[in-house]
Amino acid sequence: MKEPIIARLDGISRYYGSGAGQVNALENITLSFDKGAMTALAGPSGSGKSTLLHILGCIDKPDKGTVLIDGIDTTPLSLEQLSSLRLEKIGFVFQSFNLIPVLTAYENVELPLLFKELPKQLIAEKVQEVLAKVGLLERKNHYPRQLSGGQQQRVAIARALVGNPSMILADEPTANLDSNTGKSILDLLFSLNDRESITTVIASHDPAVLERVGKVVRIRDGRIFPD
Amino acid sequence: MNIIKLARLAWRNLLRNGRRTLITLLVSSAGFAALAIVAGYMEFTFYGLQEMTICRGFTAGGGTGHLQIFRKEALDREERFPLEYGIGQNQTIQSEIEKEKNVLATIPRIEFNGLISNGEKSISFLGTGVVPEKEIKLIDYWNQTNKMTNSRRMDNSAYLNLAKGAPNGVLVGEEMAKALDAKVGTNLMLMSTTVDGAVNAVDVTVAGIARNPMKSIDRYYLVSHLETAQNLMFTDKVSKIVVVLNNTGNTQSAIPSISRRINGSGSSGSFSIVPWQSLAEYYYSVRDAYNIIFSFTGIIVVVIVFLSCANTMLMATMERVREIGTLKAIGISNSWISLMFLLEGFFIGLLSVAGGIVLKFLFSIIINNSGFRMPPPPGMTSSYLLNIFPAMEFLPWISLLVIASTTLSGLLALIKIRKISIVNSLSHV
Repeated sequence: MKEPIIARLDGISRYYGSGAGQVNALENITLSFDKGAMTALAGPSGSGKSTLLHILGCIDKPDKGTVLIDGIDTTPLSLEQLSSLRLEKIGFVFQSFNLIPVLTAYENVELPLLFKELPKQLIAEKVQEVLAKVGLLERKNHYPRQLSGGQQQRVAIARALVGNPSMILADEPTANLDSNTGKSILDLLFSLNDRESITTVIASHDPAVLERVGKVVRIRDGRIFPD
Repeated sequence: MNIIKLARLAWRNLLRNGRRTLITLLVSSAGFAALAIVAGYMEFTFYGLQEMTICRGFTAGGGTGHLQIFRKEALDREERFPLEYGIGQNQTIQSEIEKEKNVLATIPRIEFNGLISNGEKSISFLGTGVVPEKEIKLIDYWNQTNKMTNSRRMDNSAYLNLAKGAPNGVLVGEEMAKALDAKVGTNLMLMSTTVDGAVNAVDVTVAGIARNPMKSIDRYYLVSHLETAQNLMFTDKVSKIVVVLNNTGNTQSAIPSISRRINGSGSSGSFSIVPWQSLAEYYYSVRDAYNIIFSFTGIIVVVIVFLSCANTMLMATMERVREIGTLKAIGISNSWISLMFLLEGFFIGLLSVAGGIVLKFLFSIIINNSGFRMPPPPGMTSSYLLNIFPAMEFLPWISLLVIASTTLSGLLALIKIRKISIVNSLSHV
């Protein structure tokens, strides 16, 4: 039985600049993401895969086309509504981790939950639980500068995971890590996808990533290319 | 998310961003202190001017005291001859007034004018007939109960000399002494009109050379014994009775009770009681001029404080572009982020007020103990010690201003940052 679709991009185009200097970052992209699936957006630097991920994550708006997340058309949503949608349904993992430097690992993970109406006790339980899942419970009181790159990325994954999102979007999650650490981060993302069926979309040009992902969408010059 | 949780977050951000918070705090605390010191100097200047008006005055007639008692007609009508509406039996009235609990002293005075001559040269004078021992009470008020004592002690030696030189001693201004080539001990002659319209003269001896605070008056300045002036004018009346209270703050409240004593309980009495404010034309003209200067200075300081706060907050906020982008990306709305920044600015404002108060009092202590002397104000002859008053009544307003500055400038910085897209702010370095 085919899995239901969690997100759909329909006729997406994104342009930068105008007139003769206009760059077509994405051109008429139509794509669906199945619930619980692991998808990779592959392509060289500047191909448009990060732009596509940003549009899918509702932190950028397409110039044309529609984005549906969990059946919701995001086109008419206001900035506040889009924030709320991201908070509830999307978890981000960035290439540079993007942890708040003045917050501990625990506080970084806790941050999205503070903006939800949840009791304090439940927040604490959830944070402990995801930190345990990424293997960093003992380091919960460490600041990002006290953690290695791999550990920081684990904290970022925990932060993405803590709100029980419908999907996790990872933009080059292994690009700033050595190959061993990168592998362990991939192992973590794969095991979370396996165990908890969280839809995961990874933008990457790392062959180590692409060879492990079942569905690879290849992008070049803002267009989808078949394998 | 409730406001308390957000306030905790904002507070935590401030504590964790120690360097940033400290720089912003230093700038805004220094701004608070600058404003409070200007206010303290302004208060000192106005207070000094007020007490100077009361104790020494800026006319030839001496200090205004807190209240002056006149015959009602003296204020309403033009006198046909000198002291037509003077006060007779002044000692009885003085004794009655001195029964009031807030009254320190009563001082009779005669104002008269005429010519003073050394035999070769005659110049005009504006004279005051006084009882030196009583005038010293006004100086004692300044020296004993006055906040200005630290800044400037008032010298009573001129009146002591006058008392020693009784009954015909006089004090003359420096410029007058120069004009008449007079020194202490020089014999001079006073000529004036008597109450009958005749011309009379008395011989006087220079008992002291006084320095009137107003340079322009110095050439006409003359103080004689009350008795000398009365002899010259053939009268036993005085022009007015000056009342010295124990505190300037009691001026208005003393009027009704003194009026009851000298006018009885009815509304129509023989005497008018005039508070010092109505006699202090110079005080108000200087105060008005100073108000303009201080307002202008204050506005400049406020603008500098606001711009400094805004600049520091903007720099502090620009360092957080990536953090703001991350917060937005993970789903925290613009309004929550704005509110958090607003709270951070507000807390910085509160901390700046605390820091500013400490700085203000620290600098006040240093300045007040530095012995720094200010040059004489326009038209005056002596310098004075710089003093900064606490200016407590200004502190709540300055606090509000600083808190508003930090809060608003934090928000302005955020508005600037909000224009950067999430995608761009995520990769901002």
